Amino acid sequence: MKVLNRSGYVLFLLVILLAPLGLNSRWMAVGTTFLIFSVVALSQDIILGKGGMFQMGHALFFGLGAYMTAILNMSYHVPVLWTVPVAIIVPALFGIVLAGPIVHLRGDYLLVTTIGFNIVFVQTLQNNVFNLTGGPNGIFGLDSIHIFGYDLSSQTDIYYLSFIVLLVTFAVMHNLETSKAGRALHYLREDNLAAESIGINTRVYKIFAFGLGAGLAGLAGVLYAMQYSAVSPDAFNFLQSVLFFSIVIVGGSSIPGVLIGVAIMFVLPEVFRQFAEWRYFIFGFAMILAMILRPKGIWPAKFGKIPAYLTKE
Amino acid sequence: MASNGLILQNVTKKFGGLLAVDKLNLTVEEGQIYGIIGPNGAGKTTVFNCITGIYKPEEGSINWQGEEITGMSPNNVVGRGIVRTFQTIRLFGQMSVAENIMSGRHYKSRQGWWNGIVHTPGSARDEKENWLKVGELMDFFDLRQFAATPAKSLPYGIQRRVEIARALAVEPKLLILDEPAAGLNDKETLDLVETIFRIRDRGITVLLIEHDMDMVMTLTDYLTVLNFGRKIAEGTTAEVQSNPEVIEAYLGSEDEEDE
Repeated sequence: MKVLNRSGYVLFLLVILLAPLGLNSRWMAVGTTFLIFSVVALSQDIILGKGGMFQMGHALFFGLGAYMTAILNMSYHVPVLWTVPVAIIVPALFGIVLAGPIVHLRGDYLLVTTIGFNIVFVQTLQNNVFNLTGGPNGIFGLDSIHIFGYDLSSQTDIYYLSFIVLLVTFAVMHNLETSKAGRALHYLREDNLAAESIGINTRVYKIFAFGLGAGLAGLAGVLYAMQYSAVSPDAFNFLQSVLFFSIVIVGGSSIPGVLIGVAIMFVLPEVFRQFAEWRYFIFGFAMILAMILRPKGIWPAKFGKIPAYLTKE
Repeated sequence: MASNGLILQNVTKKFGGLLAVDKLNLTVEEGQIYGIIGPNGAGKTTVFNCITGIYKPEEGSINWQGEEITGMSPNNVVGRGIVRTFQTIRLFGQMSVAENIMSGRHYKSRQGWWNGIVHTPGSARDEKENWLKVGELMDFFDLRQFAATPAKSLPYGIQRRVEIARALAVEPKLLILDEPAAGLNDKETLDLVETIFRIRDRGITVLLIEHDMDMVMTLTDYLTVLNFGRKIAEGTTAEVQSNPEVIEAYLGSEDEEDE
């Protein structure tokens, strides 16, 4: 099973690595979207899947990262590369500050609160606050990113940048699984009272999950802004948050599950494009079926990954 | 008063109009196996919840090794070396036995939150040390064969052992057991008694609630009997057994039986 798992990852990474050779421009765009949204969905998984917190405002952090890059680049002429740390740290701080007063809320109450945050965010963007956000049309005409003197503006460049960010996200997810902080999230999701009674400061780790999830989503936001050289409020509205939420639930809180979820939500509708509006009809039924047939998700998270030296005599 | 034990003074907990615990005083000395017994609804578990920070008592103080711990949050109480188990077993059901026990290492682990994002050589070493500690505990409780088994799929008696192992992983000074023999068969109960003696031999003070009177009598050094939230007797097992008020609370008075 372990060998199968590892070869699965290698195969997946090879396909992603070589895909640009055989893809036309339209499918390259789909591929890039898949990579970027995978990062966002995995960051949502930290909060929703691992921490078990029903958060439905994740597009807020994604959008915040994208807008940070856009505003700094357009209004203050900061090179795109230098906006990256800001686009990670500002959403992370927002995540921490917003989560602080609400993480003690139970399931559905937290859900409603985070939806509220998302709506406020989109309204703020549309109202062109401080003349920075560009109103309902957003901001367009961003510079491309320059790294070591190379101008990375082509579709393929953005694709591979997104691929690197996805690899970084995989590394973070792996570290989280094999560390005290990541396990603390699993414990508090399974039984909050038992977790506290064994010495885990659940509040701190819940806020940590929000900070980390928001920071990663912000990083993905930079890629999104670069892909289109533009940002607009509609891309980060409540419906996007619902999609990210559904991906984690339908996929099942595991890396393969989330990736399958992203493929179903964002790639499959592209495949069925000729069916026009019918594709969302089919897609809705696919979601219902998935939940009835596999209530824990298409590829549920597995536990019991303990070091080998513990089971060997 | 400086003491190395646990001292409860006038602890009172109300739920609305109900007085669950009424001006309770008790002193647990270091190294004791201390029992709290009483009929159902006597407020025993409420006392435990007050000590471990799940409830905040309305009145009174709880002092542990010379430090006031009244109203501390549960995780801070654990930080002071007090760990509990639950009457209804509360394991992390989907997770394996080893992972459950590992949760007890949380407080002792030196990893920071940033190690959840990047590991350093130090945090990787810390991770391994803690897993090896989990291995030792699995040997102590004879659980190694179940290391990778999900906790909820195990029989009740083994789940109990896992829960106690998880509590011991914290390396506590005071272990609080809430009805550890509930739902166990006779053999499992005997094993449990032996395990509790072995835990005490490691220098851990044990405070427990129990219904099984035989077990309480063989196990405990000192007893407090609660009824309707009040202490009606305390003493060694022999003293308590001969106390008429205790007999009445447990068996009903002779008058009642005549009616």
